[in-house]
Amino acid sequence: MTARAFAAIVETRLFAGRRVTIAACAAAALVGVLQPRGIEAPLFFCSFAGIAMAMVQSPGRYAHLDLCEQSAPLFGRELARAKALVPCLVATLATLCYGVGALAGGASWGAAPRLSMALAATLAATLTALSASVRRGSARSLYVLLSAAVACAAYALATIGAAAEAAFCASAAFVALRQYGETLARYDPV
Amino acid sequence: MVLLRMRAAGFDGAGASVGPLTLDVRAGERAALTFPTAAQASLAAKLAAGIVKATFGSVAVDDFDTRVQSAHCKRAAAFVGHDPLSPPHFDFERYVLYRAALWNVDPAHALATAQLAMERLEGVHEAFAYPLAAALISNPKLLVLDRPPAVYAQQIVDAAGPRAMLTTHGGARDAAAFDDAAVWDRTPA
Repeated sequence: MTARAFAAIVETRLFAGRRVTIAACAAAALVGVLQPRGIEAPLFFCSFAGIAMAMVQSPGRYAHLDLCEQSAPLFGRELARAKALVPCLVATLATLCYGVGALAGGASWGAAPRLSMALAATLAATLTALSASVRRGSARSLYVLLSAAVACAAYALATIGAAAEAAFCASAAFVALRQYGETLARYDPV
Repeated sequence: MVLLRMRAAGFDGAGASVGPLTLDVRAGERAALTFPTAAQASLAAKLAAGIVKATFGSVAVDDFDTRVQSAHCKRAAAFVGHDPLSPPHFDFERYVLYRAALWNVDPAHALATAQLAMERLEGVHEAFAYPLAAALISNPKLLVLDRPPAVYAQQIVDAAGPRAMLTTHGGARDAAAFDDAAVWDRTPA
């Protein structure tokens, strides 16, 4: 896949989902103002926003974009990387908006490391949820539960240490992205 | 040269099935396939364009197997879906440039080709015309249309030009409209 195709997919999907993005960012900023301290609020809320944004990429929501991408000469794994970037960007933006809200709510700049830990958990949960977006029924529910479990596990590790949490999130995100790529490569849009 | 070769090909799974289909479409030829349901017509078009992989039989586009060389197949065959384009893609230039990026076509060339196709599609509603015009920017050898509107049959045939074309239909009446509009031509493009 060319960088141009990659950028076109990301840009078009971000444009198509701009209203959801704005809503997620506004909600994250509000949560930041209301609960500016601690890691729980940004980690769980932004993970939730990321999971929701991943589910928005489900087939049928932007049916014409799906069809254009599926009929284009692209490989499933390449397409997976481009599509995965969209909810990750939105989740990152929501986390940053939470940070801005938290600063407005009285948090200090010292909260930045906690925010980066929350961001790592958010990205891992978002990438895990992407596999749910191309499944149906109980498999879909299980993947959503798995992504919630990833966020919970990241939180548990964050209370132990940042390095353990970062290592777990990086591993979970890598496996989730590979799994999503394999799924898209085999996916039949029936 | 056979551009589309289907041999007892079909799909069965995910609550949908179609086939077995056996068909050859050569360069410059047009074929219309009629199915009892719209879902089967849509599935057959996606099979022929390499978007859905056959679960039995074989489908080859430009001699590439759709199961193992789907990216090559998608360079040779352009697919136009049934559903009209909906916002936010009603900006013609933006839409054509998006498609040009996916097919790695030069933006200026893509816009010129799509504009030419739009001239041939005069009278066709933009929601139907844009996807067809954009499908032609990569100069495909084969055009696969999923249940194209019968009312625009003549314009669609004009826009497709001499390239091979396969249309699928959910009823015989729509297919007949395309037969009426078509000139059966076996001359290679």
